[in-house]
Amino acid sequence: MNEILLITLATLATAGRVLGLILISIFTGWFLAYAAIKGKIFENIYISLIEVFESVPVISFFPIVLIIFVTRIGGPLGVEMAADFLVFTAVVWNIWIGEYQAFKTVPREMLEVAENYQMSFLTKMRRIFIPFSYPRIAANLFPSVSDGFFYITVSEVFSVGIHTYQTFGIGTVLDSLVASGQTRLIYIDLAILAVVIILIIIGLREFSRYAVSKYTVDTDAPIIRRGRLNVKQTTRLLSVVARNPLSRLAGYYRSRAISRPPEVFEKHEIRKEKISRYTSIAIGVIILGLILYSSVDLIISVPHSEWGRLFSITPRIVLYLLYDYLRVGVILAISFVIAIFLGYYLAMHSRAEGIGVPIIQALSAYPPPIYLPFIFAASFTAIHSVLGAFTDEFYVLSLGFVSTFYYIFYSFWMGVKALPAEYFEVMKNLNMGYFSRMRSIILPGTFPYLISGISSTINSAWGGLMIGEYWPDIVAGRSLEVHFGLMKFIDVQTNTGNIALAGWGSFIFGIVVAIYSILFTRRMMDLARKRYVAEEGVFAA
Amino acid sequence: MDEDLIKDNAMQRARAAQYVLSAVGIDFSYENGYKVFENINIDVGQNEFVAIVGPSGIGKSTLLRILGGFLKPDRGSVYLFGKPIIRPTPDIILIHQSIVTFPWLTALENVMLSLKVRNVSDEEAEKAARNALEMVGLQGFEDLYPKEMSGGMRQRVAIARALAASPLVFLMDEPFAHLDELTAEGLRQDIYNILFSPDTPLKGVVLVSHNLTEVVELADEIYVLNNVPATVVGKVHVDLPRPRNPRSEEFNQILDALYNYLTPPKVKKL
Repeated sequence: MNEILLITLATLATAGRVLGLILISIFTGWFLAYAAIKGKIFENIYISLIEVFESVPVISFFPIVLIIFVTRIGGPLGVEMAADFLVFTAVVWNIWIGEYQAFKTVPREMLEVAENYQMSFLTKMRRIFIPFSYPRIAANLFPSVSDGFFYITVSEVFSVGIHTYQTFGIGTVLDSLVASGQTRLIYIDLAILAVVIILIIIGLREFSRYAVSKYTVDTDAPIIRRGRLNVKQTTRLLSVVARNPLSRLAGYYRSRAISRPPEVFEKHEIRKEKISRYTSIAIGVIILGLILYSSVDLIISVPHSEWGRLFSITPRIVLYLLYDYLRVGVILAISFVIAIFLGYYLAMHSRAEGIGVPIIQALSAYPPPIYLPFIFAASFTAIHSVLGAFTDEFYVLSLGFVSTFYYIFYSFWMGVKALPAEYFEVMKNLNMGYFSRMRSIILPGTFPYLISGISSTINSAWGGLMIGEYWPDIVAGRSLEVHFGLMKFIDVQTNTGNIALAGWGSFIFGIVVAIYSILFTRRMMDLARKRYVAEEGVFAA
Repeated sequence: MDEDLIKDNAMQRARAAQYVLSAVGIDFSYENGYKVFENINIDVGQNEFVAIVGPSGIGKSTLLRILGGFLKPDRGSVYLFGKPIIRPTPDIILIHQSIVTFPWLTALENVMLSLKVRNVSDEEAEKAARNALEMVGLQGFEDLYPKEMSGGMRQRVAIARALAASPLVFLMDEPFAHLDELTAEGLRQDIYNILFSPDTPLKGVVLVSHNLTEVVELADEIYVLNNVPATVVGKVHVDLPRPRNPRSEEFNQILDALYNYLTPPKVKKL
């Protein structure tokens, strides 16, 4: 009984860690978003940094975590902060960018009302900006919760060299249960975690429904009064969550000039504007300065001979990265095909959608690294008899797939739901077949959603590879391990305490991913905004 | 009893076969139980331009979707040359109130969309699409994307796409509502000639509008919907020579008749 209580407490501690860090992300994001829309310089620095960090997988932060929290701070506090930091980096970026996009797209008329009534900063935040950001936050909560839970196994227990660091949570408890072979308690552990995740998903769906119905401009969804629970309707409303972010994204870069002529500004107003602008510049410069200082400090502290060693190993790192990109490509291709067929089917069949989408949501939040060892143990012999030498590769790709598939699925599904109803009438009217619909209307119409989903899928696949490529003793006496791969390289270096090599590998990886993001994702998003915004095809002047 | 029903249906179909499009005894309710229509009967004769008018919210667009097979009535049937309509078909094309084009396709590609689904070769499809664009006055604009066009041009693209499908009936849901008055007037003047030109297989048009001047200018037959649930409260035949002059006495007499039908609705107590 005491063990069950311990498991329950550990699950709640983990859930509390994930949800608490999400709340911190939301709260800090409001102020940062406000600072960003008020100052161009801060905005440029802030958005560029988020875009880079968002595209860099959580694993890249691991060496930083080890250096700063475990080595410098140390003790239980350092380990707890390390775990919190890893989960924070998993959940924060999409929430911050979502809030910024929401603040940036508050309708001009609302801002004019705020100016007209001379609302204070807090009133503007409370009455306009924060309520306006709720639907966007709601849309971003599902992936954030999934990402947060995904990393609990690596964030709550990790080894560096001969040291193992751990902090209280379901990941740690499960680790000790597996080590002591207490099968019954392991199943109880998994079941309690499932119950908690399902409860969180139900709560999030309710919040989404409430946020969309009450805080979305121009939605036809009926306003939900507090206290009414209607899980059945949430799926339909989620589509509205999806519809608005993207249609607003189209206006992301549109400038919003204030029409008021300058002469009506009072002197103190001009002074306030100036203070606000200079504060924003100062914050931007401080952030840049801190980054520069840390970089220079790090470069100086590493001896020349060490730099030489790091540069000499770089070609091997790049080769390993190519192997991993190949794996990511396979995961993406499989995810894409399944997402297209399943996503379209569910979007078109409301009954199946009502059952299928909540199941996928719950499964996506249930962390694959928690249950993979059990599936591995149960299926290894059978899979090995078929795939032979490729067995480990199969499990790694499977882990990558289950940890990232839902991104592209959701994006596509939301994209289909957000297509104008008139498009479906035209398709029906012209008797278009399935493939004709897909080729001419559905795929181009969901292109912005697909690009966003593909980008997130690629970014998240790295998390699965990082865990799967090198997993010593995944089950007693057997390890999961690939031959070559950058994630394996980083894992092995971390495990053997070679932080400099692990950090260098992560650095090279971060640079490549950021370049890829700028060259591919951004270009594709620009193309999507220019030509593939379906809402623009319906003209209603 | 069953025999009577079969006999009734056979009579209905025989009667409907005399018309291009015929809606017989249509009842319809929304999912929340609100009854929208009761016993609606509408006939569209050969080469006839039929308009449906009524107050805002009466269900005009819903009726149009029932006529096109997009919505299934609770009672009654819709026939195309006596053949029951149970699902949307390219024989009856709906032109939306919100002008629908596909932003990733050029004007030509937008029009070709309705030909590609008919297994027409690319060359033939392009030729037919160019013809349709020419018919609506958009020759020379084939390679423009919808974003590069005005609202009026976009609506012409939507009409060309509809024409290229070679439909027998056009259902037009307030097609000029999102256009400025000058553009709408220009398109209104063109539309009758475009639709009933010898180059199109079109046999009938149903236009839904709340602009009474517009419908008197265009229609041969006007059905007036009113009351809750909506019923056909009047039918006005317009027998004026074309082009019609909105300032003429006859024109205004017809307008007055329509206004009389559209007095505040009577709500049926259930």
